Amino acid sequence: MFRNPAGIFPLSYRQDMALVRSRPQIAVLLAFLVLLVLGPLYFSPRMLAVMNTSMIMAIAVLGLQINLGYAGQINLGQAAFMGVGAYSGGVLANFSGLSFIVVIPLAGLAAAAFGYLFGVMASRIKGFYLALTTLAAQFVFHFVFINLPADWTGGAKGLAIAPASLFGFQFNTEGRLYILILVVLVLMTYGAFSIVRGRYGRELIAVRDEDTAAGIMGVDVVRTKVRAFLLGAFFAGVAGALWGYYLRYISVDQFTLFNSIWMIGMIIVGGMGSITGALIGVVVVRAIQEGITSFAPVLADAVPSLGSELIFASYNIVLGILIAGSLLIEPKGLMHRWNTIKSSYRIWPYPY
Amino acid sequence: MTLFLTFAINGALQGLLYALVAIGFSVIYRASKVFNIAQGELLVLGGFLVWLTLMEWALPLYLGLPLSLALAVASGWLIERIFFKRLVGEQIFAMVMMSIALLIFMRGFMLVVFGPDVRAFPAIFPAKPIIFQGVMVIQPLLFGGILTVLIAFGLSYFFNRTRAGLGLTAVAEDHRTAMDLGISVRRASQIAWMLGMVLAMFGAVVSMNGNSINFLASGIGFIAIPVALLAGLEAITGMLLAGVLIGVVERLTAGYIDPLIGANFASIFPLLLMLLILTFRPSGFFGWKTIERI
Repeated sequence: MFRNPAGIFPLSYRQDMALVRSRPQIAVLLAFLVLLVLGPLYFSPRMLAVMNTSMIMAIAVLGLQINLGYAGQINLGQAAFMGVGAYSGGVLANFSGLSFIVVIPLAGLAAAAFGYLFGVMASRIKGFYLALTTLAAQFVFHFVFINLPADWTGGAKGLAIAPASLFGFQFNTEGRLYILILVVLVLMTYGAFSIVRGRYGRELIAVRDEDTAAGIMGVDVVRTKVRAFLLGAFFAGVAGALWGYYLRYISVDQFTLFNSIWMIGMIIVGGMGSITGALIGVVVVRAIQEGITSFAPVLADAVPSLGSELIFASYNIVLGILIAGSLLIEPKGLMHRWNTIKSSYRIWPYPY
Repeated sequence: MTLFLTFAINGALQGLLYALVAIGFSVIYRASKVFNIAQGELLVLGGFLVWLTLMEWALPLYLGLPLSLALAVASGWLIERIFFKRLVGEQIFAMVMMSIALLIFMRGFMLVVFGPDVRAFPAIFPAKPIIFQGVMVIQPLLFGGILTVLIAFGLSYFFNRTRAGLGLTAVAEDHRTAMDLGISVRRASQIAWMLGMVLAMFGAVVSMNGNSINFLASGIGFIAIPVALLAGLEAITGMLLAGVLIGVVERLTAGYIDPLIGANFASIFPLLLMLLILTFRPSGFFGWKTIERI
């Protein structure tokens, strides 16, 4: 159960649902945001690059959290949705020359349209069958973008994208991109919080917990599921477009089934059904991935036969153990553990 | 006409191979209610076990095959023990996630243990194609097809007609009810994984016979998913029909449509067909239709 800090008594629904409840919380949040914004000043170049890719990944994982953690619709194709966003953003930017302010939301909408297809499937298909049909998204994405005319998408060679620019200011260094990505991430995080706190978020949770019962209570189950996929894919599309602007080169090999599965891993580790949990999962899993990359020379001496597959292999082993361990030891994720600790110190010295 | 027949017959045989892999899905599902996404990885593991005994240790066939079979059963037991033993009675979601964890763990594990190299795979069935009146039939697939049909009917009899098999089937319906009726869900789950691993090994032998083995061979697990969903997860003999349908459609697309459009449309046509059919029949052709109660 959620407990407020001592001395905070919500007197209205509005206060009860507020994201930040006390002055110290506001102060800490602002301090944290300032620390993040000043990141380029004190991060090392490698740390900055890691932060950039992690934040892009975090946007896609937020969408997956809505789709999977809140609505309970298992989605094995989030990387494909991200890829659709990246390609539509890239093609749009290259051909129309529109600013990224327009391109990024449009890329999100394009991915949402692709996600809609699977949302419609979700209204008919359930459980295992649905999880496996979303696998098809991955294969369809790969086929379509490899085979579209090469002067649109570059085919198997990939697509180069011009840097994002605003009134002549070019986002072409890691530091500048960091600010751009951070702004989008903060916006999307706020959006995700707003979605899941409102009536619609409660509908999602009702459908996740028992969709037949939710239907009886007056929730439009079909529409809720379709919207969950639309939203999840929209987030992925925005992340994909940012990815395009960040790397300035996209190819279908950047959006594989394993990427989708790793995103699901981040959600399980962080905690299902929690926006903060999704962010924590991204941080933890990405930290482990970077740790493995740092240890790669040591590992390469231990297992010389692996060669270039080394990082992929060790990353998979560690993440596999991590997911399995989370499911066996703490199925509700790190966020749940944190909430337990938080309420225990808030009510200290009483046990409940 | 002979070209068409070649496509159709080999497509059907290839489809029976998919059915063999899909039966692996079905058997694990029928006895433990887990849909094992990692079936392709199990297949690679099974293949490497055969490779280990027959090629690396160079044992004769009559000694190597039983040994790799025993190793397969042992590894099936081990996988169940480590990953799934404590999930009895959990929600579908936890099971899907656990099989995803198994998938990525095994991908990494196999890379570390067996390496990324392509290895030669022993020829257990004669590998030479049979040519009859201009129609070419791939021989290992023919033997594999016969094996698949036998396995399908055998397992179907076991699950639908024998007391032990019906006990396992009850586990697939509901863990708690099965436990109430005195069926050991733990035991069922163990049997499921041992059977699943053995079937994966058969699949490996048929698909890689006389060819090569590499960790990427697990892709067949994903190709078999449309087969399993089309037939319905619970239908063992139904897999044969769905497999042949998917196999023939895939081969004919590869033979006639792909050269026209210059793209590998055969790689996604089975998936699109599956999406279309599932929209009208959400639990496949022969899957159980469940009535939902609150």
